[in-house]
Amino acid sequence: MSIVGKQLNSLPSNNISVTVDNEKALCTITPDDVLRLNKISEDYLCSPSANIYEIDFTRFKIRDLESGAVLFEIAKPPSEQCIADANLEKLLSATEDLTIEETADPNAGRYVRYQFTPAFLNLITVGATVEFTVGSRPVNNFRMIERHFFRDRLLKTFDFEFGYCIPYSKNSCEHIYEFPNLPPDLVAEMISNPFETRSDSFYFVDNRLVMHNKADYAYDGGVNV
Amino acid sequence: MGFLTVLKKMRQKEKEMRILLLGLDNAGKTTILKRFNGEPIDTISPTLGFNIKTLEHNGYTLNMWDVGGQKSLRSYWRNYFECTDGLVWVVDSADRMRLETCKQELEILLQEERLAGATLLVLANKQDLPGALTANEIKEALQLDNITTHHWLVVGVSAVTGEKLLNAVDWLIDDIAKRIFTLD
Repeated sequence: MSIVGKQLNSLPSNNISVTVDNEKALCTITPDDVLRLNKISEDYLCSPSANIYEIDFTRFKIRDLESGAVLFEIAKPPSEQCIADANLEKLLSATEDLTIEETADPNAGRYVRYQFTPAFLNLITVGATVEFTVGSRPVNNFRMIERHFFRDRLLKTFDFEFGYCIPYSKNSCEHIYEFPNLPPDLVAEMISNPFETRSDSFYFVDNRLVMHNKADYAYDGGVNV
Repeated sequence: MGFLTVLKKMRQKEKEMRILLLGLDNAGKTTILKRFNGEPIDTISPTLGFNIKTLEHNGYTLNMWDVGGQKSLRSYWRNYFECTDGLVWVVDSADRMRLETCKQELEILLQEERLAGATLLVLANKQDLPGALTANEIKEALQLDNITTHHWLVVGVSAVTGEKLLNAVDWLIDDIAKRIFTLD
């Protein structure tokens, strides 16, 4: 049974605008600020340049614990990763690649689109993995807050403190959780309204926002509309 | 003890445990973590940072941290000690050459103040390999009987076959739960 389609896109530029005018103000967004949000944010709350720690997400994966099946996986090809082998030359060339990419589209890599079939919403236990590398500076008090909404309804908050990250390290975190028990009418709404289920992922270092990623979700794969 | 009591009460409510997996490189920490969480173990490369799993088990939320064991990474272990409830020391039971290093590194950890309250589970891993020392031999080699500062247990396991792994982790969780969640 194939229950998953996948796609990785940049957001259409008319949908999301990046505020880069006041960088000082952007960096003052705190965990408390985003925990208070009662819907998905309209804009990215920090610019890509706020990521002074060169934190780079290299893999997203979702698996079903019951069957063991990998439902979704995207990974940066190793050639594009800042591999944590302290090989400075390699690191520099990878950084250059990224710089070129960022010039072309500053939001590339900040947004993931997930397309599932309705069966996804019937899963019981899923594991969601992120894998990331960090640059030359040690990262302290690294914290991730992820908020999932359907329209203005909060479905799930995930708040996790990674703490310290070693310079040039490659790290992973899998959050294994029971799928939220959603009422049937909400499930039906989510299926018939693709991409109105969305999430914001906020990443903080020392309580300052350094990265903001977005995702949206459809559950109507294989359904005739 | 006032502050600690408050902390304990908070944790009691959350039923959360932090478990730290350490050991020399190639001991099998990541394989154990993956085996315990039902992931394939055929493509595991050296950990150059950490791997975390958060999961529900026996009614507790476990945060399991596996930090790379290469010599260059061991000086960073200290960054992960805070709030650790359980320390899992993973041993390659077939690596006789490095048993002395293994013993020394464990001794250093047990002197750490921030690990003073942690239960110690020693996993004598790779029992599936010919020539692997038994759990009892590992206990002798690491002189575990001398440990008086921590609750400890040594168990012979194989991350490849999964043998005894679940029981060992369950012992760890039970021991932690008895210490920190039964105040009233």
